[in-house]
Amino acid sequence: MTTTTTQPLLEAEHLTKRYEDGVLALDNVSFTVSPGQIYAMLGGNGAGKSTAINLFLNFIEPTDGEARIDGIASHRDPLAAKARVAYVSEQVRLYPSFTAIQNVDFFARLAGKTSYTREDYRQALLRVGLQPEAHDKRLKGFSKGMQQKTGIAIAILKDAPAILLDEPTSGLDPKAGREFVRLLQDLRDEGKAILMSTHDLFRAKEVADMVGIMNQGRLVMQRTRDELHGEDLEALYVRYMAGYMEG
Amino acid sequence: MLKLLIEKELRDAFGSTKFVVTFAVSAVLVLLAFFTGAQNYHTQRAQYEAAVAESMRGMEGLTTQEYMMLRPLALLAPEPLAVLVSGVSNDIGRTTEVRGQGMLVAEGSRYSEQPIYAAFRILDLSFIFQVVLALFAILFAFDAISGEKERGTLRLSLANAVPRGTYLLGKYLGAFLAMTLALAVPLLLGCVILQVMDVPLSGADWGRLGLIVIGGMLYLGVVLGLALWVSASTQRSSTAFLVLLVCWIVGVLVWPRASVLLAGRAVEVPSRDAIMAEINRFQRQQFEESLSSLMDIIPRESGEDGPSAEAIEEFQKRQQELADAREAEGSAFRARVQEDRINRLRVQEQWALRAARLSPATTFSLASSTLAGTSLAMKERYQESTLAYQEAFDRYLREKSGSSQGGGIRIMLRSGDEDDEPEELINLQELPAFTTQPVLFGDVMGHALLDFGLLLLFNLISLAGGFVAFLRYDVR
Ligand SMILES: Nc1ncnc2c1ncn2[C@@H]1O[C@H](COP(=O)(O)OP(=O)(O)O)[C@@H](O)[C@H]1O
Ligand SMILES: [Mg+2]
Repeated sequence: MTTTTTQPLLEAEHLTKRYEDGVLALDNVSFTVSPGQIYAMLGGNGAGKSTAINLFLNFIEPTDGEARIDGIASHRDPLAAKARVAYVSEQVRLYPSFTAIQNVDFFARLAGKTSYTREDYRQALLRVGLQPEAHDKRLKGFSKGMQQKTGIAIAILKDAPAILLDEPTSGLDPKAGREFVRLLQDLRDEGKAILMSTHDLFRAKEVADMVGIMNQGRLVMQRTRDELHGEDLEALYVRYMAGYMEG
Repeated sequence: MLKLLIEKELRDAFGSTKFVVTFAVSAVLVLLAFFTGAQNYHTQRAQYEAAVAESMRGMEGLTTQEYMMLRPLALLAPEPLAVLVSGVSNDIGRTTEVRGQGMLVAEGSRYSEQPIYAAFRILDLSFIFQVVLALFAILFAFDAISGEKERGTLRLSLANAVPRGTYLLGKYLGAFLAMTLALAVPLLLGCVILQVMDVPLSGADWGRLGLIVIGGMLYLGVVLGLALWVSASTQRSSTAFLVLLVCWIVGVLVWPRASVLLAGRAVEVPSRDAIMAEINRFQRQQFEESLSSLMDIIPRESGEDGPSAEAIEEFQKRQQELADAREAEGSAFRARVQEDRINRLRVQEQWALRAARLSPATTFSLASSTLAGTSLAMKERYQESTLAYQEAFDRYLREKSGSSQGGGIRIMLRSGDEDDEPEELINLQELPAFTTQPVLFGDVMGHALLDFGLLLLFNLISLAGGFVAFLRYDVR
């Protein structure tokens, strides 16, 4: 790693998406996430958070602007871009007839990681808080939270420089949520660039190095951790939502 | 990457209850088809042998004076592969009473003798592939894409550097391999059943059976490809299932029949009855003419003892000449009328077959019956065999009795001392035996290869369609 601190890993540049039915889901949004940084994208339902993440993964094509991963525009070279990013979606359900180990093994190898051992998989599953007795159980009987944890383990095992998380805490109980925050901090300390969408203000404030508030497809506020220091994020959030409404 | 995707499909399939249950059912059906097939073969064989013996017994006791009364039966022997792919084998007549001259009509099809089978048809291997396994393939693959989408695993997979084409190909090959593996066991067991139950299959027969199975797998490949295509063109599993069900109904049940109807509309063919009536009219007219000309030459009594021996001999000779001429004329007419009908039938048939092949189900069913020797060609094969036999029989008659079995007036010359001569019996051993022309491997291969090519093409088309649809698929 030489110039990683100066070069942002995730970049949204004038990112705009209008769906076929005319909905303007993302309106000229720009932000960057550098290695060792957690960016929390806040916003209510329908604000455009998932749309932004899907643009990074080239699941949809941008109407205008571009999403770049490590300098590669996702819609130009999707395979190269996707090789550099791990992804946790909301409500992962995975393969019910596979065990947790089999699930992580499949996705790890799909990500090109072929040298992992069973022990590595166990370590990763332990790290996300999945109890050892569950590792060899089929996912059929897993709770939402256990499946989400397995999904997070998959993202960790991909070991990509950037991580996209779309409302990752939605299936987790408070304890698991707290553990997850710690895990995110570890990953950041390892130098990952993390973009997380959430409507959980509390967690956002806890971990984020940068917070962006989205409303109706626009990035209406963006503050660093330092700028937020001492501010009441909840009040800010409400104010910006309301302010946007007025404006 | 592809290997990984295929492996995953296999593991996913064999771990899913849906797959295990459907293929346990198909395994039972396949085994049943082999078992009942082997049983049917032996029953048919016994019936056939009894019929052959019966036919010989019916001709026993005929004296050398009675060659004209020989009516050997050309019986169609059961074939081992026909019990697995029945094709038309149950619909065509299997018994032909052979005369030295004249038209031969095959009678007594299995369905006409055991109509209960006609009502329900036969559960054979071809049917199981064409109808049951195709449906199971649809059940197995209709949610191949949408199912992954609903689980969120499609997003998760495609968040990696996985080309969509590879992903789809992995799905297709994985599903195909899963089906092949699931079917291999009962199919192999089925072959063991054939062996154990002493169904006589030659090396070429095994080869044909192998090709039938390969054809079946190619067909299931088309169904899987189509299922993926539809699955990648619809957002919801339930829609995909409905669409595929409609495809199945049209492809398996409606289209083959519709194409026959359409061809029937397009090419007109006079009915068999109409042709028979025309031939009868011609023959009656011919007979009347010949009768009057016979009357002119009938030997008159020249004294108290009746006509002289020379006069009778002369008359016999003349009569045979007339009969031969009439026969030649008659058969020329018959041939012409029939040929015309057959030509029209051929054209109609060809159009029907061509159109029907637009459905992969029909392509497979035609390929399998061709390979089994139970396609429409079976009837021709049997007919040609009986015609060849008729010739052999006629030759035999002429050799033995000096004349053919053409119609006419037969004057028996009885001398007073006939009772003194011991009546000599016909040696039935010398009667030529009837055999059906065998199915030639090279012949059927040529035809089947064409259908195999078509099935391969269907595979490619469905894959290409699936690929295009999947490129535009909303994976979120
Ligand atoms: N496929 C789609 N077609 C049309 N509109 C869509 C589609 N997906 C999302 N939208 C709309 O785009 C807007 C943003 O959605 P989304 O990005 O999912 O929001 P969030 O993730 O912040 O809840 C919403 O108004 C939503 O209704
Ligand atoms: Mg969302």
